[in-house]
Amino acid sequence: MPLETEARAQIRALVAEFRPEHGDLLAAMHSVQHHLGYLSSEAMEVIAEQLGLFPAEVYGAASFYEEFRFTPPAQTNIRWCSGPACRLKNGGGIRDAILATLGLHDIPGDTEDGRAGVILGQCNGACELAPMVWLEQPSTHRIEFVGNLNAARAVRMARALRDGATIEASIEETKRA
Amino acid sequence: MVQITLNGQTVEASAGRRLVEVIKEQGVAITNLCYIDGLDPYAGCRTCIVDVVGARPTPLQLACVTQVADGMVVNTETAEVKRTRQSVMSLILANHPDRCLTCHRRVHCMPGDICLRDDVVTHRCLTCSKNYRCELQTSCEIVDQGDFEEPWVGEPRSYYETPPPEPDRGNPFLEYDPQMCILCTRCVRACDDLRHTGAVTLSGKGHRTMIAFGTGGSIHESDCNFCGACIDVCPTATLMEKPNKWVGRADDWTNSACNSCAVGCTISYGVADDRPVIVRPDRLNPFSRDQICVRGRFGYVAVAERERLTRSLVRAGQRLLPATFDQALTTAVDALTAVKSAHGADAIAVLGSPLATNEEAYLLARLARAIGTPHVDFSHGMVHRAVADAMRAAFSTDRVPATLTDLEQAQTVVVAALDVEDSHQVVSVRLKDAVIKRKAQVVIVSPKWTALDRWAAAIVRVAPGQEAAALQGLADGGSAPAGVDAAAWARALNVVSRGKGASAAVVYAPNGADGAARAGAAATAAANLAIALRGAEAGSAFHYLPTDANVLGIADMGIAPGAGGKSFPEIIEAAQRGEVKALVIHADNPLLNAPGRTAIEAALQGLQALVVIDSLRSTTAEYATAVLAAAPFFATDGTITNADRRVLHQRSAQRARGQQSDGVAILAALANRLGDREAPSGFTEAHEALAAATGYPTMAQVDGAPAQVRALVATSTTAKPQPAPAPTPAHSGLTLATGRSLYTSWDAASIHSDDADKLHREEAVWLNPRDAEAAGVRTGDVVDLTDGIASVRIAVKLDDGVAAGTAYVPHYYDGGALMALLPLGGAGASTAALRVRALQPA
Repeated sequence: MPLETEARAQIRALVAEFRPEHGDLLAAMHSVQHHLGYLSSEAMEVIAEQLGLFPAEVYGAASFYEEFRFTPPAQTNIRWCSGPACRLKNGGGIRDAILATLGLHDIPGDTEDGRAGVILGQCNGACELAPMVWLEQPSTHRIEFVGNLNAARAVRMARALRDGATIEASIEETKRA
Repeated sequence: MVQITLNGQTVEASAGRRLVEVIKEQGVAITNLCYIDGLDPYAGCRTCIVDVVGARPTPLQLACVTQVADGMVVNTETAEVKRTRQSVMSLILANHPDRCLTCHRRVHCMPGDICLRDDVVTHRCLTCSKNYRCELQTSCEIVDQGDFEEPWVGEPRSYYETPPPEPDRGNPFLEYDPQMCILCTRCVRACDDLRHTGAVTLSGKGHRTMIAFGTGGSIHESDCNFCGACIDVCPTATLMEKPNKWVGRADDWTNSACNSCAVGCTISYGVADDRPVIVRPDRLNPFSRDQICVRGRFGYVAVAERERLTRSLVRAGQRLLPATFDQALTTAVDALTAVKSAHGADAIAVLGSPLATNEEAYLLARLARAIGTPHVDFSHGMVHRAVADAMRAAFSTDRVPATLTDLEQAQTVVVAALDVEDSHQVVSVRLKDAVIKRKAQVVIVSPKWTALDRWAAAIVRVAPGQEAAALQGLADGGSAPAGVDAAAWARALNVVSRGKGASAAVVYAPNGADGAARAGAAATAAANLAIALRGAEAGSAFHYLPTDANVLGIADMGIAPGAGGKSFPEIIEAAQRGEVKALVIHADNPLLNAPGRTAIEAALQGLQALVVIDSLRSTTAEYATAVLAAAPFFATDGTITNADRRVLHQRSAQRARGQQSDGVAILAALANRLGDREAPSGFTEAHEALAAATGYPTMAQVDGAPAQVRALVATSTTAKPQPAPAPTPAHSGLTLATGRSLYTSWDAASIHSDDADKLHREEAVWLNPRDAEAAGVRTGDVVDLTDGIASVRIAVKLDDGVAAGTAYVPHYYDGGALMALLPLGGAGASTAALRVRALQPA
């Protein structure tokens, strides 16, 4: 039985309210990811212990979902909308432009310095803004949408994020003519 | 039993059985890539389709899901069945290299040949480690897949176009290559349902689904304990043993028995080029059946072949030089004869080994008689005899009829062992089975956390040495012993009081490093608890698990002090005083095995003659006058007697190398030269002689019903509760807890190899955080663990699963360095408290 470290105690507190055989696994994983940004090995072990599961069962469930991540998140995530409306309005091109600007190959991916990452988003019905992305800051839970993109604006936004600009500054970049 | 018609033949089968098992038993070839015999069907691969006449909605049914019913008419070879199976197989091959599997030329190809169909080298069966022992390959042959589809050439196909996922080759036991995986999930279910370890899972989804270990990292960072049950069931080369991976295709199989612990799992050695290359569980032992552990599966490669002795050694001044067997034998005989003529036979002592076979032990006892000395023992002899005495007092025999298979039916089990998962893993597996399948209640009495804890109904965490008090308390329904959590104690008492009756059992596993007093007290208390639980039938409910494989066997063969003979600690003391001047040690290493290392080292140094018979140049052999090279355990024919008193036939899986001789032959030659002209020199004759002398079953009986024949089991037992053992006084410092750990190999520890623990998991002292805080040490710190005289340098790990006041160190750490911290004769009431002295921060 591994030792109670500070990090472990923190995770334990996050999942203390969840009970075995209550269908609480997803809620527990969300709680940890919301507060810590990702599911570490240690976190999955603590969740397993709390819910009477094997760590492998927790990982098996978590890895099924695109949303859960197992490495610390980037400073700012670009959540690329994969919905049909965005795709019809060149969402694919926007994605490729962002990935190329950040030097990434696929979604999900993070830049090496951890400043920016791209993750998959699902349609939330704001299709009048298509094609769109969300900019998210996991540490502050701040989320801003950026709509009606085109490739040039997406590239300017991604460049700003790559170079360490704030969310506001990056959004400003998309508004420049 | 009902009758079914299988391909026109009438077959008897019990109703409700899975059809696929019946078909396989009849010797009819059927593909079933995801089914595991005995487990619920998964019905994932769908290759076991058969035609069940009249079945609805279609006669095409999965044989793994279908249950046998009377009058069922089953055809496995109709054209429709064949076609359907082929198309199902085609789907499986869509994400596996298939070109060789569907190519009719494969049998003509050699690995170096240029493929006429342009198949790349890395995708060929011929260059796969599992070629010709692969279930997928066989399955493709059974369904004649080449008849259905041509090898997939020239079209885009994701398998051939995407880079393969990364294999995991980071540990010394298990290799995982995901590109071979067909996602049958047998490994996931074997780990969950056969082992209850739950280290394997399916991860991801859709096209990216893979199996993963633990939380998705490397295997050695997960909770996998490398038992290899997943390797046994894997139909492809996805999960493979790392040792001998590329040569593991056995030409022949040898049934044998594992000698790593007293469970005595039956195993088969796969033999190629006259050496074992692979181990599989052999279902003969009704308790272990299809399960073994990492020690059984990889014990034969724990030590490289070059590290085994192939020549005998003779002392020349400070050095041991190679010699022929005859030279070494003559040196040994001359040295022993010289001591005997100068000081009498009383100056010679003989030490046996609990890893030896019965035949070797029998000859060693004869050798002692030929010498004329009563001083015969083995390093843990005192512990065994203390337990046996306690059992005789309680049950009027130490050869109780309890058998481990009963344990699988028990509803309440009290386990008194340091870590039964580590020391006797298959017992732990069966206990988990009992908890999961039959809701059995397990109470654990131990100073440290074990992997079985998760399934326990109650855990009594005691300080080392307080086990007896806890067990007696459970028997009497008394109050909690000092230091035991009151709530846990109440739970344990509750389980015990509700569990009284026909299906309760007690498992007691002493540790070799425990002193006789401590082991005897714990055994007495455990026997009292068995009597409290089962009354007059307690003898059928008391399971004594010695640490080493053949403790019961060698005791039966007479490896114990004769009249006026000295026990092991007395022999060492006498050697230090100069009364014992010569020692014959067979296959044991007291410097590794026995407490009181400093005294033992001094005794060995002072000897006039030390004759060692071993397959390894052990740390003890370094002091020898002559070392006679014996064959290793997997090259030795013999019998061993497990904790059940089953007599198991350990068969040789390779011929002796170089000038190695059979242990029996060496001991017979020694006995012969020392006066016992009749000593039998072969395994068969030795067994005949020992059967006649001890009442053991003959080889005809042993081989006639393998792993079923039990030796010398008492037919009747009594149940006399004994007075409660005197409580062990607690002391203020740390108390050492040590015992058999899982990964450190006896053989490699005996030669003090750096790789004795190939995973390097067991090279630390585990401390309770409270004790660590008091000592000012943290995980990773290197400390001196000292009793004021000797000290051991060791890294610290903090663990709240260790009882406060306890320092847990695996027994075989650093070649038994720890044994210097214990007094000769083992940990007892007088054992000094340990202190931790911090050396350097991590």
